[in-house]
Amino acid sequence: MNGSNETKRRRRPVGAARSQTPGDRIGRGLPVVLAAVAMLMFSATTNAREVDERAAPFHERVQLDPLGMSAVLVEGRLKSFGSHASSTMHSITGPRRIGGQSDAFTYLDLLIRPEAYADADVVYVKNKNVRQRIADVASAANPALESRLETSVKTGLFAPSVLRTPAIEDLLRTLEADLVRTARPVTEIRNALTLSDPRLLLSRLRIIPPTAEDPQTRWHGLDELVLPPAPPTDPSLASGLPTLPTIEGLDPTLASTIRGAWRELVEGWRRGDAGEVNAAVATLAAAVPEVNGDLYPEQARLRWEHWYFEQGNLTWIWLVYLASVAILLLAVVYRWPTALRIGMGAFGVALALQTFAVGLRWYVAGRWPNSNMFEAVTTAAWFGAVAAIAFELWVRRTPLRGFFALGAAVSCMVALMSAHFLPVYLNPNIGNMMPVLHDVWLYIHTNVIIFSYCLIFMAAVSSAIYLVHRLFGGMPAYARAGGTGMVLATTAGAASGGGAVAKVAGEAVRSGRPGPSFGEVLDGVTMVLMELSFVMLWAGLVMGAIWADHSWGRPWGWDPKEVFALETFVVFLLLVHVRWRVKDKGFWTALLALVGAGVMLFNWIVVNFVITGLHSYA
Amino acid sequence: MPNTESAPSAGSAAAISSSGRSGLLSRLLDLFSSVRLGITLLALLFVYMAIGSAGVLYPIHPNVFHPDAWVHAQMRQWRSFEMTEFEWFHWWPFDVLLGLICLNIAVTTVRRIPFRPINFGVWTIHAGILILAAGSVVYFGTKVEGDAPVLRRKVVVTWNEPGAAATRLAADGTAPAAASDALVLSAVPGNRGRLEADGGGYDVEIVDIDPQWELLSGDDVGERAYSVTLLVEAPDGERFMRQVIAGRPEYTEDLLFTDDPNQPMQRSVKVNGTPIVDDGLQVELAYESQEWFYLAHQISKAWAIYVRPPGADTWAERPVDGMPLYNDYVASRDWVFETPGDRPVEIDPIDLAVPPGAGDPFPNLDLRVTGYLRYAVERSRIREGGPAAAYNPTAFMTVSSDLGERSEYRLQALDPEARRADGGLLAFESIGSETQFDALLMAPSLRFRIPEVDFEIEEEIRAVLLAQQELAFTDLGDTGYAYRVVAVQDDIPLASGEASIAIIEIRTPDARILRRWVFDDPRLTRDVGPDMTGPVHGGPALMDDAIEVEYRPGTGMALLTLVVGPETDRLRLVSSIGTDTPTAMPIEVGRPVAVEGGLTVAVDRFLPRAIVERKPWIVPPNQRDRDAGTHFAMVRVEAPGVEPQWLPFHQYAFDGPENLLRRFRFEPSTLRLADGREVEVIFSRQRLPLPAEIALEEFILTAHVGGFTGESGSIRNWTSLIRFRTGEGWTEPQQVSVNDPVAYGGYSYFQSQWDPPDPAREAGDRASRGLNYTVLGVGNRHGIYTQLAGCTIAVLGMLYAFYVKPVIRRRQIERAAAKARPKPEPGGAAPQPVLAGGRA
Repeated sequence: MNGSNETKRRRRPVGAARSQTPGDRIGRGLPVVLAAVAMLMFSATTNAREVDERAAPFHERVQLDPLGMSAVLVEGRLKSFGSHASSTMHSITGPRRIGGQSDAFTYLDLLIRPEAYADADVVYVKNKNVRQRIADVASAANPALESRLETSVKTGLFAPSVLRTPAIEDLLRTLEADLVRTARPVTEIRNALTLSDPRLLLSRLRIIPPTAEDPQTRWHGLDELVLPPAPPTDPSLASGLPTLPTIEGLDPTLASTIRGAWRELVEGWRRGDAGEVNAAVATLAAAVPEVNGDLYPEQARLRWEHWYFEQGNLTWIWLVYLASVAILLLAVVYRWPTALRIGMGAFGVALALQTFAVGLRWYVAGRWPNSNMFEAVTTAAWFGAVAAIAFELWVRRTPLRGFFALGAAVSCMVALMSAHFLPVYLNPNIGNMMPVLHDVWLYIHTNVIIFSYCLIFMAAVSSAIYLVHRLFGGMPAYARAGGTGMVLATTAGAASGGGAVAKVAGEAVRSGRPGPSFGEVLDGVTMVLMELSFVMLWAGLVMGAIWADHSWGRPWGWDPKEVFALETFVVFLLLVHVRWRVKDKGFWTALLALVGAGVMLFNWIVVNFVITGLHSYA
Repeated sequence: MPNTESAPSAGSAAAISSSGRSGLLSRLLDLFSSVRLGITLLALLFVYMAIGSAGVLYPIHPNVFHPDAWVHAQMRQWRSFEMTEFEWFHWWPFDVLLGLICLNIAVTTVRRIPFRPINFGVWTIHAGILILAAGSVVYFGTKVEGDAPVLRRKVVVTWNEPGAAATRLAADGTAPAAASDALVLSAVPGNRGRLEADGGGYDVEIVDIDPQWELLSGDDVGERAYSVTLLVEAPDGERFMRQVIAGRPEYTEDLLFTDDPNQPMQRSVKVNGTPIVDDGLQVELAYESQEWFYLAHQISKAWAIYVRPPGADTWAERPVDGMPLYNDYVASRDWVFETPGDRPVEIDPIDLAVPPGAGDPFPNLDLRVTGYLRYAVERSRIREGGPAAAYNPTAFMTVSSDLGERSEYRLQALDPEARRADGGLLAFESIGSETQFDALLMAPSLRFRIPEVDFEIEEEIRAVLLAQQELAFTDLGDTGYAYRVVAVQDDIPLASGEASIAIIEIRTPDARILRRWVFDDPRLTRDVGPDMTGPVHGGPALMDDAIEVEYRPGTGMALLTLVVGPETDRLRLVSSIGTDTPTAMPIEVGRPVAVEGGLTVAVDRFLPRAIVERKPWIVPPNQRDRDAGTHFAMVRVEAPGVEPQWLPFHQYAFDGPENLLRRFRFEPSTLRLADGREVEVIFSRQRLPLPAEIALEEFILTAHVGGFTGESGSIRNWTSLIRFRTGEGWTEPQQVSVNDPVAYGGYSYFQSQWDPPDPAREAGDRASRGLNYTVLGVGNRHGIYTQLAGCTIAVLGMLYAFYVKPVIRRRQIERAAAKARPKPEPGGAAPQPVLAGGRA
């Protein structure tokens, strides 16, 4: 009977995993998963090769890398032109890339050939309701646009020519009167239209360093050197000859080189002459640092920043985590040692890549990345992965091995997927921190809190697996000694010098006799994570209160973000006490761990994006 | 927190009941020893906090799957509650809940958790939480929090003239304040005043403040200092600038105007050899100290009405208790304007006494608050008043073009400020006779008369010098006179009514050029002086009375003139577009007419006897700025025999318009009492005296690389250098910056707001470079270290419970197992693993 077989499988001890061999079904499953992941990972490369094989269009023939690695002063930060273009285009085209072009190319194309974009779908409208309203009004005014507007509603991209019609202007005026629902999307549309103005794009190219020695001196926009000055208001002052604009203290020869390179770039661009453009870009990029080499930022940093943004902020690492999740899941469910080793290897590779990404962002930004939502989410996940490695080392001789890596891999995968697919919400651009964030408590409080959040999410993963296990007939097992107690017992048991009970457990493991059940192990993993997150969350709240006391004047302001962090802690208080009282401890632990994770996510998503408070920046 | 994994041990309920105690106390002790009660209380705490912070979501339609069927509301903001977050979280149910939890923790710990090493963790956690609760009672029970604006400097102007008295004006030129022998102006660009004595006076205006003025001479070359520049007009009409630098009076100097367009100002020291051109006028900079801080609504509502006699320097505060915050309270919908289609305002009257405090200048004034609006602005609306109302023709017009542009106007023919639009290109005139209408059909013209040679001519005005730089003189026949028109301006409001004016230049036969202001009322016509700087005062004065000129405005500058009259309902449109001769056409309400240039003009509504009503307009919820706070709140105040008035909210009760900080409001209202006295009132927040007056020595903006660019991202930090006044004078400057507060006199001071650069917003306004004031957060923090101690103890307990206790327990089990384990016999069966699955 199936039931007896099922019971056998359910009760198969995790500790006996080494003596098991995977069945045929498992053997077929792993290659399929690996192949699927590999296909996903390499599909982008294949597409790129296909593109290379065709006749390359202009945007692929121009080499903007030298300019992309030039410094631009934006909002008090010297960033690479590549990242500046990325953040600017993010404000115009949202998450979409126009015609497969790089952001840097589109930035310059908008600047040099604005007429080409007047009727092109380039302005991104995030709000779907607003998209539909615009499409309805525009198609009523001009029925010929109907099918095009249907596409716009899907992609969110509208043409400036559509958005600037009187009918749409009337609509936008109406919509922006609704401050609660539609004013913000309209402001974003207006900002995008303003930002796409070529004069503004040029003036925001503050790539010429000051000639003064003081780093507090402002940088000059390219427009100050290449645009003719406004005609004098008094006609009698006009000499009849156009005067060339210049920058005080700038060597005339260098000024002439920069001006000439820009002119050649523009002329070559308009002719579609990639060779001329590439030469001009190289000249321009080489000339600008010469204006003031002492104040020019480190070239290596600019180069890495440019590369980092070209690589999409390395959020594609989620694919590697996906691979590790798939393999680790097979490993822990089917207790397959080989899969565990491969899964841990994949997880290690993913963590190494993510560590590189976090470190690179740290280097590029000049500060630890935990100051905006993108950084908080990705760094929190990284904390979880690092902690998972520590946990795995701790539990390497216990049946709990593999579960922490699995939880962390799922957390990292979800975090990086969010960053990858929702850049509108998790904006990857690097900016200066608000003054209030310049404090040592940013690094203490925030890191402790986000670390605890990641642990909570990891606990939710093991809890979810536990509940699924129960759903499919698993016994109501739980870790009698608690999380740390279970690890201590089983670790000591596995070691030769452990105590009596632990020795017994360890001997059981070694001999292949039944050890803790799958449910017990899952409950133990949840408890290990819950115990640490419980302490970290409380300590993080206290640290936040200390910071708030000297920053805002009160340690606790009942701000929604504070309240829901405390609510998360209250859920874990409930978990601890409910676990003590109820019979089915495993079930209630898993359920409340999931509720706690839900409250934590509510705090991060709903409170951050809907209910704003003092913590609106994080 | 209980012992997480073990069953109730020694001290358990069974043991307690066996002790023989009974009765109510025993039952209560049993109840509060219950973990179930603790779980229930924690669950209630969770729900209470969630409702207070996130609000509630409830369906309003049976189809609960439709997204519009759900409504989100902040329950604590409902009429029954009207609570801020702080108030909700210190309301008695919350306090009771926390009290019960503390009691539960204490009783359970003592009765059910034996004080043994294995339980030290849970004891420590529970003790820490109880200490935190005790600290919180002190902290929140005594919490006071608010903010204090502190301006950097004030300008003190004195005049060595006996009997000199000062009059201060606000930046908008209104509301003269009290007079004194010195003119004291808060250092804010645009503040101005007058020092007057017999025979004339000084007009002084702050035209510029540079907080980072670079010293270019003396021993302090390269240093930067706070510089205030005044525009001074001396009694003899001479105008000059005076620059004063904070802390460096020796650098005070005057700047003189020149005729050189390349160097419009020159230092007095270079022209006259002395830095001060007029040493009769003394200007000094002094601290503008702050003695109050205003309570924040976040802690609890802190409304107040301030009263004083008109012209007084200081306000008397009257706290308003029981005021709402989040909802509108009116007794009649006639009190307000509402938006059609919106949910009507609920009729929910309030009547709150606002009693006087000690030292109130109106101790018998029974002031009451009878209405409150959370978010409203004062609006005027026009409606037809009916036959009994005064004649006040008002037209609502629309002008649209072929290109799709469309503009709407509201014009009132008898209101000098509302009869024209678009800079005078559109006008609305009321006429009493057809003769007046004929005049409107003429282009603006000048009638010249030279009686001596019997010359008379009427010339249409076709060009003006202001618009046409090379405009030549036009000869007046053979008389030797010639003229050209400099400018035309119609319907200038004068004290005696309105007048239209053509400014012309007349070239006389002896080649003199004189400038004449020709009014439509010949009695006002006059020539201006040779310097052409302004009219000669003291009545009409013609330098050449041989030539007489009269100005006939005709249609004036207006390209389109809507005319009503002589009958009160007869409308005609006069158009000057594309023609030298204005054309007239009848126009009816609702029937657009086309005019030259592809324009269409429509009169949408016409009200011959319009009445203007001024009331607060309740801004629809979806048009409210979320960050506006209480900025748009209004209260209705009334007193016996006093016309009720709506008062707008003021962030601070500034003493006068000259103390107003940019971006804030100072609009006091005046109540007229039955006995004829007047009361100046404003609606603001309660305030408390600071433990010591605070002066702002300096405000420093620190920027990232590239300096401050105006973008918020370029700002690194804000720092206020403040001094406190003590019995011996001012303390040394103390630095308050973000994350770096200062403690003094039982309060902590935090960097809260700053004064950013602010461009001129309208004609006559002065731009500001900012950094002229700071706003400090002020608050106390009693009990904070007790709270911190409780939190820290709890953390230690958690670490013990989760990471020390398992080790202790494991050792205990190992010891017990070692004792219990039979000695292994050769070949015997292995013991069963303790952690084997399937036991639960």
